[in-house]
Amino acid sequence: MANLEAKTYISPLQLGIVVIGTCVGAQIMLSPRALIAAVEQAAWQSVIVGGVIFYVAACLMLKLGKQYPDQTLIEYAPALFGRLGGNVVIIWFNLLFFLQIIGIFSGVGKIITFYMFDRTPPEVVILALLVVCTYCALQDWGTILRVQQIMFFVAYTMLTMVWMTSILNFQPENMLPLWSIKTKTVISGGFSTWPMYSGYECLLLLLPLVHKKTSFAKLAQIMGGAFGCMTLFFLLIVIVIIGVLTVENAKNVPYPALIVIRSVELPGTFIERLENYLLVAWIPVVFTTLAAMIFYMGQVCMRHYRYVDHRPWVLALVPLIYLGSMLLLDDQQAYDTVSKYTLWIGVGFSFGVVPLSLMLSWWHRRKVGARCG
Amino acid sequence: MDKKNVFGCVILICLSILIAGCWDRRELQDRNFILAVGIDMADVHTPIETFTQPHGSKRYRLSLQILKLGAGGDGKEKSKTYVISNTGDSFFEMVRDMLGQTSKSLWFEHVQVIIISEAVLRQTGLGELLDFFKRDSEMRSRMHVYVTSGVAKSLLEYIPPNKEPGGIYLSNIVDLHVKNVHVAGKRTDLASLALYSDNNANLVVSRIEMVDKVVKLGGLAIFKKDKFIGYVDEDAVAGIKYMFGSEKSAIVTIPCPDHSDHQVIFELFRHDTRLRPHVDGDTIYFTLDINMYGNIGELQGDIALDNTMDPQYVNNLESAFADEIKRTVLYSQQIIQKKMRVDILNLFATKLKAYEPDTWAKVKDQWDEIYPDIPLIISVNVSIRNIGSHK
Repeated sequence: MANLEAKTYISPLQLGIVVIGTCVGAQIMLSPRALIAAVEQAAWQSVIVGGVIFYVAACLMLKLGKQYPDQTLIEYAPALFGRLGGNVVIIWFNLLFFLQIIGIFSGVGKIITFYMFDRTPPEVVILALLVVCTYCALQDWGTILRVQQIMFFVAYTMLTMVWMTSILNFQPENMLPLWSIKTKTVISGGFSTWPMYSGYECLLLLLPLVHKKTSFAKLAQIMGGAFGCMTLFFLLIVIVIIGVLTVENAKNVPYPALIVIRSVELPGTFIERLENYLLVAWIPVVFTTLAAMIFYMGQVCMRHYRYVDHRPWVLALVPLIYLGSMLLLDDQQAYDTVSKYTLWIGVGFSFGVVPLSLMLSWWHRRKVGARCG
Repeated sequence: MDKKNVFGCVILICLSILIAGCWDRRELQDRNFILAVGIDMADVHTPIETFTQPHGSKRYRLSLQILKLGAGGDGKEKSKTYVISNTGDSFFEMVRDMLGQTSKSLWFEHVQVIIISEAVLRQTGLGELLDFFKRDSEMRSRMHVYVTSGVAKSLLEYIPPNKEPGGIYLSNIVDLHVKNVHVAGKRTDLASLALYSDNNANLVVSRIEMVDKVVKLGGLAIFKKDKFIGYVDEDAVAGIKYMFGSEKSAIVTIPCPDHSDHQVIFELFRHDTRLRPHVDGDTIYFTLDINMYGNIGELQGDIALDNTMDPQYVNNLESAFADEIKRTVLYSQQIIQKKMRVDILNLFATKLKAYEPDTWAKVKDQWDEIYPDIPLIISVNVSIRNIGSHK
């Protein structure tokens, strides 16, 4: 009997959903404080700028993928950069996911321990989440795709509904002055939103699954929709945080989104302490991001070392991920340093490695074309 | 069943034993629900009540009002709560030491109100006192904070006449602020105080008093940043609410324009209030435009002499009510801006920052000195929509 879970084709729309599922995750809780502290009142502008910047990065990846319709980055990187250079690029690519995963695990462990299970050690929370995510990542792509699609409609709807209750405490004047004249700060803030949008790098792995006849324009259009949705979602998060808490207050709380929702009182109802409801809706969102990223890491290793199955690699990565998360858990300085380097590695990959790969691929083609006369 | 399946079943059973239950479970019957917290200066204490403290001094008395959980009894029991207290320096340390006075763990998730005595506020800033409550994840963001000139512990021991648990009763009083213009309750809870404190604003907290077993909420305690500087009365609170536009309803009483021994009462139903900054060269001034809509709610005096169906009479009343609102705002402005010299909750500073950011950038460092001399131009318009269901 054929393995129905081993899916070899996805539609462009499914690709868009997977990109959203991978990108939107833990960072809606973890990132806003740092962004608001850096850009202050103009944080919402940086979110839009970030959306545009990383959409451009995603388009560059689409363009690059289109040059090699049957291959992932793992196959064509050595052809472009040579064996050593290709290895560096592949390690860089996998390191991106690894650093994000350990950052997310340690952040999520801290939040869940502090707000939900104060007697459970964060090590246990992380381990439990890691086990569940690993179980999902051990499945074939068809299952992961299905999980992503279900979560897209269920978890995000729940999350948005709970989050929207905070509108009750929204003070429009906290958003004023609306426009920042510090263009440089807004643009640098745009780059610092990378942790929010990160995950779109999976395009370099998934593009061969999309039907070859799908044009670049169609893919760019779908990706535009995905980035539009993500930008709107992140805008909703950042605008509500500033509108409810003010910039100064948001700077002083580690997880402003939770403080926002904690302040909501629904008059005439027995529902209270909405931060617990938000966390319950948030955990599945984090799960989809982490499961997908662990799967991508397994895929990268599988393809690089020419295995036929990604599962041994997923299992081999588990201790590494757990160890990395533990190292960041109790050391805030290490967490901040790793976050900073992850940002550089991520932005460097999108705007250094990818454009360079694209140029090299064009140069190779021109060279081959010239040889053929 | 082959060996593989048996092994699988054993693993499943073992796992279900391991994962059953929850590390974080706390049974309902094992909890003491705290409903109210009182902070006083440490007075004379019996040694058994407190603890040996190696560092600091016994500065505060922390009192906790705990809900009595158990069988209903014979109905003769007067109070649904009881109070325990402790003295010390750190609130957290006192709370943990108070576990020596209870048989169940203390549970702060249902705290409704924190009452702080004026004596404590004369010594310590509000921010320092509330830090424990802001920091702990167990606390509610919207718990109300009150100041009393008396003893906070006495208010915790108060038995409400309707037999409600004390903390809930005390908390619910302020929730009626939307109908009571003498009580400012909108931005005086823990989350709002944390928010304004982070914005370096001058804070305000509702005042609660108990005299002869009568508890009453009214007036405001005013803080310069977080240092207590005094109280304002109910009339000033009304003026402050008119400035903020935070009232949902209000009762305005004036002598009748035609017969000064009569009293006419206006009930506010709706308003449109706009406080706007203006910059003219180096001069900053604010305009406050208030449009109010409501009904005549009561007439005291010989009603045969006051024809509320006469449009001219109603017009005269509208002008008189507008003058009264203006007087109230000017009264509170006089106290807050001129006498106490505080921009409460940074109302004016926030407007200037929002609508005139360039000017704000120039004056923000000297705002405390500039603010008391900034003019406020007030314009009030009152529309009487209805005279009630009788002439």
